[in-house]
Parts: sequence; structure tokens; C-alpha cells
Amino acid sequence: MKNHPDDYTKPELMACCGAREIRDYDVVLVGTGFPTMCANIASHTHAPNARLMQESGVFDAQPKRPALSVGDPCLNPGAAMIGTLLDIMGMFLQAGWVDVGFLSGSQVDKYGNINTTVIGDYNNPKSRLPGSGGANPMGSLAKKVLIIALHDTRRLAERVDFITTPGYIDGPGARERWGLPPDTGPQVIITNKAVMRFDKATGEAYLATYHPDTSIEEVRENTPWDLKVADDVHETEPPTEEELRVLREVLDPTRKLSAYERRGYV
Amino acid sequence: MGYEMTKVVTMKEAVAEHVNDGDFLFIGGYICRTPFAAIHEIIRQGKKELTLTRSNAADDFDMMIGAGVVKRFIATFLSLGFFGLGRCYRRSIEKGVPHKIEVEEYTNLSLPMMLMAGAMGMPFVPVKDMAGSDLMNVKSFMGDDKYKVINSPFDGSLTILVPALHPDVAIIHVQQADELGNAQMWGIGGDCQVGANAAKKVIVSCERIVSRETIGKDPSRTIVPDFRVVAVVEEPFGAHPGYTPGFYDVDFSFGYQYQQASNTVEGFQKFLDEWVFGVKNRTEYIQHYVERFGYSTFRNLQAEFDYGYPVSYTY
Repeated sequence: MKNHPDDYTKPELMACCGAREIRDYDVVLVGTGFPTMCANIASHTHAPNARLMQESGVFDAQPKRPALSVGDPCLNPGAAMIGTLLDIMGMFLQAGWVDVGFLSGSQVDKYGNINTTVIGDYNNPKSRLPGSGGANPMGSLAKKVLIIALHDTRRLAERVDFITTPGYIDGPGARERWGLPPDTGPQVIITNKAVMRFDKATGEAYLATYHPDTSIEEVRENTPWDLKVADDVHETEPPTEEELRVLREVLDPTRKLSAYERRGYV
Repeated sequence: MGYEMTKVVTMKEAVAEHVNDGDFLFIGGYICRTPFAAIHEIIRQGKKELTLTRSNAADDFDMMIGAGVVKRFIATFLSLGFFGLGRCYRRSIEKGVPHKIEVEEYTNLSLPMMLMAGAMGMPFVPVKDMAGSDLMNVKSFMGDDKYKVINSPFDGSLTILVPALHPDVAIIHVQQADELGNAQMWGIGGDCQVGANAAKKVIVSCERIVSRETIGKDPSRTIVPDFRVVAVVEEPFGAHPGYTPGFYDVDFSFGYQYQQASNTVEGFQKFLDEWVFGVKNRTEYIQHYVERFGYSTFRNLQAEFDYGYPVSYTY
């Protein structure tokens, strides 16, 4: 029987949810913040042979502190390989070697499409966001895509304003019609309220587990589409003692993850 | 005719001679080795109507957009990283301040592939991303030449082609180069090598100029050979507030100050007046930095040395 301490924070729970999606020997393409924490928890617990890379050109970095960007100085010393964008995005991602890609977005819709380009009309936007960067190729080409998002009716959408990164686009068969590689696409949306997975038959996200302090009703109320619920829906497993130990003692002793609480991940 | 003796010039000379109004520039860097000394000089000289490109742009492109020197941007991404959205970029697109730049949107796979095609002399290159996204539905100044969709002549599958890019000038910052331009770099590479080699002319900014003999001790590190280079500028601390592996760290507190300043047009203008127009060159910039923040702040950014094993190329 695993021990589950009850003094964890929401970002810690979400990081553990992400970590559990990673299998041993997976090749994982990460950004910073959550994705790196998730992947590192996995590699310190059940997936010691998982390998991380950053799009900037770094493979198997050994940072002495949590990286603040994919170009962070701390990713350089000790890495197993430092190449270029084309090495990571071309030679590894486009060539089909990346098992897991981690993404987050300002807006995520029921098909797992992600918007990081504009809020509002493209030509006269309310907010101009950064753009694709590496997100579009990651969402197009990684075998499993894990999405991190805030759970409210503004961040989640029936349909995003702009598809920067394709999920299941407009439903079943769309990725195939566009020639995206078979057996790729979003696998899960991890939010501060729930874990949603995708029904391959409809391409839609459904509720798989809800976090301990919420309920099926609360999750559905905060989801702007008619969220289907899994037959075996249940409470999300809280972080285990071992996951929390790795997170707090090894990976994030200065509690950088708490910054996400201030950004609404509560 | 012997070899030329040197291509070493000042940044002022390099930018005045090789960067023209209306040029298409590749500017290398990835927080790592951002050629900020060159960027400040371009703003100081008031260049106009430039087209810029690079994957993952940051504070450097934001500053050039805010300073009004940019007309067009072949983009994948622009943000201040840890400090959020690019303020000048947002003002340009959302409010037309100082003017609305035109943006052609690609990704961190397709754009470096286009630069690679340019560097390799290929007319275009197939890419497997962008399909099914709205990146295919927005076209700006490149119009229908942004991409083409064909059925592969080999297996009939849907294939997206993107064109080669040929910047007029590439500006990169590296650790070391010799006087003729053999440029050596280590650490996070971004799209620096393909971007430089896609361009018609390359300006190399470097932390230190070394001898041709030193270059020959580790020739695998050279990313641009001398015959592609038109100017070499020695600019220690030339990537600040970005970093250069082996030389100095990212200056996060300066990045925060840029974010705070660029929150408003007035603050941004004051920032330019102080750090760009208020100094003549990088030497004065460093002097001003030390006067403003103290030598210990400057010293704390300098890298500790942790040398690798020397490599041997002998046989």
C-alpha cells in the first residue's frame, strides 16, 4: 500500500500526474517549468531510463537548478549532447524518435487543439501571444502529447480562436487526412481540477479522474463543452511519499513550482 | 596576391558598411549568444524597414520592433521568456505603436529547415509540421509563396513545401573567431549555423579574437568559415543581457528591468536613451553598467572556468 501524505500543493499533484504518463525508456521533449518537473519525477522514480531533450539543441542535460527557459545556461554543462534546433526538431522529432512531448497553452479545446498565437481575431487581436515556437511540430509529430492547462471556461474552449498546434483538429480522421504520422496526437490534458483523456472514436477529451478536492459536477461546470465522463471515473491518486520526496528534496528544493500557485494553479 | 590581413572592424563600421535600409537580416542567438552589441548599433544608426528572422526571438527582437527599425518579421515565436509576453511586439500588433509590423508565421521546425535549404542551395524543403493548423490559413507578405502543398512524387502522400530563405546579412555572436572570420561556437546552437550560412554576408561578433593557429587546435567547433565572413568585431560581454557559455551568465535582473521599462512607451524610450543612445559603443555600455550597478554585479555574471578535456586531432 502506497503512502499518500496530504500536505501537497496543486502544482505538485499536477507534476505527478504528468510524471505517471512517462514510461521507462521514453524519449521526452520538454519545455521548462511543469514539463521538466514531470519528466524528472519520472526519471527519479519509475522511469530511470527516460531521456529528456530541449528543442534548443540539448540532450540529457544535468542542470544544477530548475531551468527557466529551454535556452537556460544551466542546461549546457554536463549535457550528453548539445547540437542545434535542427538536431532536435528535425533529426529526432520529425524523424519520429520522440515518444512524449509536453505542451501548455493559453487556450485548449475539446479536440486538444492549442492556441498560443492570438486571443481574438488574427488580424486585429485582443492579445498577441508568442506564437508556435516548437509547439506546432511537437503536437504534430510526438507520439504522445501531454497538455497542461488551467481549468476554467476561458482557458478551455469548445473551439480555440487559432489552432497553433493541432490536436485532433475537427474530429476523427482529421490528423490522418492532413498526413500527420499515425499514432500521434494528444493523450491527456492535465489541469488543476482533473485529468482528461481522449476518446479515439470522437477525438474529444473526456473526464478520466478528478482531483481530491473537487467533484465531477465542479469539473463539468468549469468545462465549456459537454464533457463526457469515463465509466470508471475516480479520484486522482494523490502524490506518493516517494514522488514528493524526489520533488522536494532532489528536483525543486527552493519550491519553484509554488510560482504556479500564484498563476492560478490551485 | 596573398591572404587578406584582417577583417576586424568596429561594430559601428560593420553595421554602417554592411547593413542597409530594407535589408533582410538573420540575427542568431537563443538567449545564448544574442548579438546585442550589434542590435544596439543597428538601433543607434536608425536603420529602417528591416526584415528580421530567427527561431525563438526574445528581448532583442522586441527592442528592435519597439525602436521602429523593423518592417517585417519571419517569425516562429517572440516572448521575454521568464518575463512574459514581448511588450513592444504586442504594442506593434495590437495598437500599431510605433507601427504595425508584418508577420509571417512558421515554427521551430519549418523555419530552421528553410534556413537550412538556403544554406544548402536547395530551392525549397518538405516539412512534416504545420499541417491542419491555422498557420496554413494566415499568409502575410510572402503570400502564396509561404508554403505549397503537393502530393509527393514518390508515394503520393500530402506534402508541405516551404521556400529557402536567403538573408542579405547574418549577424551572429560566438565565443571566438580569427581575424579573417573563422568563427567558433560552443553550447546551445539554436539555428545559428544554418542562419549564418544561408546569408549572402556574415558579420561575426565574438568574445575574443584568436589566432588562426588557435582555431586549428579544435577545428570541429567552427560553424562559419572565413570566406563567408565580411566583418569580424571583438565585443567582450557582447551578448549581455543574454549569456555566452564559458564567459558570463544571463542577467535576469536586467531582463526584469527591460520588462518593467518596456511596459510603457515612455519607459521603453527612457531605456533606449540610457542603454542605446546614451552610449557610443559596447565599451561605454559596460562602463555605464559598472557605474550603475557596481563592479561586483558585473563580476558576479562572469563565468567560473571548468575546462573540458582538450581534444587531440593528431594521428
